[in-house]
Amino acid sequence: MALNHDLKHALDVAAGDEPRPADPAADLARAQAAVRARSRRRFRLGVSALATAALVGAASVVVLDGSPTSPPSAAAAEVRLVAEQLDAEPYTFDLTPEGWSVQAQLPSAVTIAPDDGSTSDEPHDFRGKLVIIFDANPPTGRDVEHESRQFWVNENPDYTIISTRTRADEPSGVVSIQYPHNTGWEESAMIEFLASVHVGPGAQHGQG
Amino acid sequence: MRDNERSAEFVAFVQARRSDLVRTAVLLCAGDEAHAEDLVQTTLTRLYLSWPRVQRADSPLAYSRRCLTHVFIDETRRAHRRRETSVAVPMDALGRDPADASPDLDLRALVLTALSSLAPRQRAVVVLRHWHDLDVDETARILGCRPGTVKSQTARALAHLREFLTTADHQLDLEVS
Repeated sequence: MALNHDLKHALDVAAGDEPRPADPAADLARAQAAVRARSRRRFRLGVSALATAALVGAASVVVLDGSPTSPPSAAAAEVRLVAEQLDAEPYTFDLTPEGWSVQAQLPSAVTIAPDDGSTSDEPHDFRGKLVIIFDANPPTGRDVEHESRQFWVNENPDYTIISTRTRADEPSGVVSIQYPHNTGWEESAMIEFLASVHVGPGAQHGQG
Repeated sequence: MRDNERSAEFVAFVQARRSDLVRTAVLLCAGDEAHAEDLVQTTLTRLYLSWPRVQRADSPLAYSRRCLTHVFIDETRRAHRRRETSVAVPMDALGRDPADASPDLDLRALVLTALSSLAPRQRAVVVLRHWHDLDVDETARILGCRPGTVKSQTARALAHLREFLTTADHQLDLEVS
């Protein structure tokens, strides 16, 4: 006997009955343990990065993540990309974040900060800023295709890193952008911006 | 936000929404309830870690479903999980006793078996589009792909489900509204 079933109903049946209410204490304990583990990782990362900075000077990365206490940028509500070339040798961008400027450029990284003065003048403090990183690490995260090019999105609680492989005529490697969540940038805009990056021959892989 | 406030809100969210996440995960995992529970636990931990984003979301439930789908897709990329999924037998995973057979149990087992025959992303498309009633654009946003990809994946998944469910052995005719 053939039966007719609406797919939604069939899926509802397949999803099963409402499970018994679970004790949220176990979920809370796991989550709080994860918070403590993250704090330990951040502490180690900070110590490690500071030690690296002491060794190689201004070229080192001191802070990679925007903490929840980092001040929201005044530009957060109105950020957008405009079709203007942005130069940060050895990197060039076909698009420019309006109201943002290159704060520091290295063969392995570029820091772009809002012009409103809401972030630190210290170029190695990445909080509230866009950071372009070039390295040889394999990209990880959620796959996104944009204009026939593959991107990988790695979301963290306070910031997201989007990566893509360089073009065939560019130095081989992975170019990534790190953007904080409290500055008004959306994933789609960041992919568009990253897709506009051209990696010049002077680019060098960063450590990490 | 103080930790105790976050914890109180999280507990309230878990009490209200965990069952929805578990049922969604069961569909994504095609009836592998242990895997579904793992996904939900991972999802809830991620939500707690980024609780301010949950609070800012227009719909915390929708945000949590999105997070769950991301966890599922991430998991399916891992070789060990793919291997486990590929040998999972949903009918067995349900642990059903033939003596308990009922039309709904038969239907459940059948649909889960059909879902298990889909690729993970196709399964996610079916769940998001046809159980959560999300539109193509929102589904594409969650899965990080183009709307055209969602449309083609949906068409392929539904064609496969129809073919699977209408074979002589299964005799089930799905209507897609």
